Amino acid sequence: MKATHFTAVAAALACAASLSVQAAGDPVAGRNKNSMCAGCHGIPGWKTAYPATYKVPKLGGQHAEYLVAALKQYKTGERNHPSMKGIVASLSDQDMEDLAAYYASSYSGPSK
Amino acid sequence: MKITTNMIGLAMAAILTVPVQAGGNAEAGKAKSAPCAACHGPDGNSPTPSFPRLSGQHEDYLYHSLKDYKSGKRKNPIMSGQVANLSTQDMKDLAAFFARQKGLSQKY
Repeated sequence: MKATHFTAVAAALACAASLSVQAAGDPVAGRNKNSMCAGCHGIPGWKTAYPATYKVPKLGGQHAEYLVAALKQYKTGERNHPSMKGIVASLSDQDMEDLAAYYASSYSGPSK
Repeated sequence: MKITTNMIGLAMAAILTVPVQAGGNAEAGKAKSAPCAACHGPDGNSPTPSFPRLSGQHEDYLYHSLKDYKSGKRKNPIMSGQVANLSTQDMKDLAAFFARQKGLSQKY
């Protein structure tokens, strides 16, 4: 009985540990994964073509947490844009963290 | 029907004259921005990582986002409440104000 308890607790702990930390984003890894992003977000003044026309948002200096949330919303369909939907389909959670860390790393506004 | 050079020219002229969104007034936007500041910071440089920075973002993207929150195309419980009472002019003015602050940048 005691041994069973121990096993159960150990198993639960192992499970919790493996579920936990999504490794923090790595900006260097993100830099190497951004070829799909740069074609629109990296070009000054680049505009969406469909379904509405407006300049694609600037990402440099945006909060990483917000960027990851936005990518995940595109993945679930909660947020919808045809181009982004296609692109996020191939991104893992780690890819999203890395890309977000890369873009977040160049904030140029006033210091807080 | 024969497609002539003239017709192509006319079609292109028509595309070019599709109205560019009339600009907002940044000063008026600043005066309307107090409710935004609570989450996004007074100049749009949000101090909270879950709320996006707005400062320096493209004006037309900001306006487009507000419009999508208003129409319900983009869903967010906080933002849908915030935009409910904003007019088109309010949204343009706010976009003009935040776009002129320093913060975000184009990054390759």
